[in-house]
Amino acid sequence: MSTTANAMLDHGPAAPRTYATATGELFDRELILRYMAAASFWLVFAPTVGAIVALKFNFYDFLGHISWLTWGRLRPVHVMGVVFGGFSTAVIGLTYYIVPRLCGVPMYKERWGHHIFWMWNIGLAVGFISLALGYNSGIEAGEFPLWVSIPVEIVLCMLTIQVLGTVKNRTEQRLYVTLWYLTAAYIWTALNYAFGHFILPYSMPGVNNAAMHGLYIHYVVGLWITPAGLGVAYYFLPLAAKRPLYSHKLSLVGFWALAFFYPFVGTHHYIYSPIPYWTQTIAIVASMMLIIPVWTVVANFYGTFVGAWKQFQDSFPAKFIIIGALYYFVGCFQGSTEALREMQRLTHFTDFVIGHSHLTVFGTFVIWATAGMYWVTPRLAGRELYSKNFAQWHYWLTVVGFSIMAFDLTIQGLMQGTMLQAGADFVDSMSAMKPYWFVRSLAGITMDIGAALGFWNLYKTIKHGTLIPVPPGAPANYLPEPKWS
Amino acid sequence: MSDKDSHSESITRYEGPGIEERHGIVPTWLAIVYAAMFVWMIWYTIVFWTDKG
Repeated sequence: MSTTANAMLDHGPAAPRTYATATGELFDRELILRYMAAASFWLVFAPTVGAIVALKFNFYDFLGHISWLTWGRLRPVHVMGVVFGGFSTAVIGLTYYIVPRLCGVPMYKERWGHHIFWMWNIGLAVGFISLALGYNSGIEAGEFPLWVSIPVEIVLCMLTIQVLGTVKNRTEQRLYVTLWYLTAAYIWTALNYAFGHFILPYSMPGVNNAAMHGLYIHYVVGLWITPAGLGVAYYFLPLAAKRPLYSHKLSLVGFWALAFFYPFVGTHHYIYSPIPYWTQTIAIVASMMLIIPVWTVVANFYGTFVGAWKQFQDSFPAKFIIIGALYYFVGCFQGSTEALREMQRLTHFTDFVIGHSHLTVFGTFVIWATAGMYWVTPRLAGRELYSKNFAQWHYWLTVVGFSIMAFDLTIQGLMQGTMLQAGADFVDSMSAMKPYWFVRSLAGITMDIGAALGFWNLYKTIKHGTLIPVPPGAPANYLPEPKWS
Repeated sequence: MSDKDSHSESITRYEGPGIEERHGIVPTWLAIVYAAMFVWMIWYTIVFWTDKG
């Protein structure tokens, strides 16, 4: 065993900052593990805020006497917390692992990584405190005030430069589909974040602002969360299945179909609004056409797993990837069809929409990011999972809790929509939803308990997991394989 | 095996991460979905371009 590898394993993630370049390794283990720990924290924090927000539907006065814990303050903390805190922190950390390995060179401007880590996480913390104190830019999913948006934008630009520079310097000529998705996600988001935070709030009033906000929020979902999540999932899919990716051709069809259709879907939340009818029609058509990339991705994912179902039983990354693909299929079909005018008439202003957004953002992309965290953390720490039981609980509480929540919100939305179409009073329709809200809260708390167990387990893995023996003569950049069962 | 079959079954390996991928195909059922969606897209766009009240 090399001295450096021994030192790394003995001292865990507290390796020197120059570790990557000192050992010839392509990535910085310490940096990535820090990201995994930070993402674990945000992925417990943000859903917990969501559970508090959900409980307020049934218990109106719950924490309602403290201004910074009121529903209107906490809801954006929950949304921004999941999107930028949990999901994005995990993706950025995984980017530092994935991109150098696919390119065959260390990350461009590698030393930026630690500065970005602190700027990003301190920015998030200040952002959530600001939101709780009532400082909100008023753009949904772009609610951070200016003093947070500026450092976040700087981080996004730095990350984009790092990814592009690494791709430019690569020694592996062929670009795996993950690089297509991640590169595009960073470029699109560096542009979109600037649009949503620095242009939109200050330049357009009225219905134009609403139309442009439709674009911004869907670019966050479709041009950041979706390609970044797909990039991560495509990387770990063949590794977790221990089989070749089913089809390179399908992966490119999926990428270009997403890139072509997603930019037009933004207006589909403003059907029957004063926005021009033809614009709404284009948004509806583009939304439905997203069936093409979604079914393409799902066919590729399940095609890869054909003959490899044992991995689904044995490996936690495989479990999370497969269940995420199922939620992706259901949630995106729901999203496409709810854009249709008849479905909008039925579901608008109901929790059907909330069910859809949870199915896609959490059910799919957070779960895929979780798969990546399970793959990377034990390997980089050189340690077995601290507790396989906790990982099992994490998986099953997530699946059970989340499935109940998604089903409950979907049924609830259809029920309320039907009541409203039948002429029921809006307040009466809300009162009839109370049992569904209660079930939603219980399901959310179930998920949160699972997440707390799972991410605490990952944190303990970094600190106290059993060291995995390194074979004699292994190189310094050896990555040990953990046992999942 | 025809050239077309052997091409679709050809495997590329990415040495860094150890990922392999088939060149692969677009399955027939999925190609039919693509075609159906394009036909629907053209129909819907023409019929619903303007509000007919």
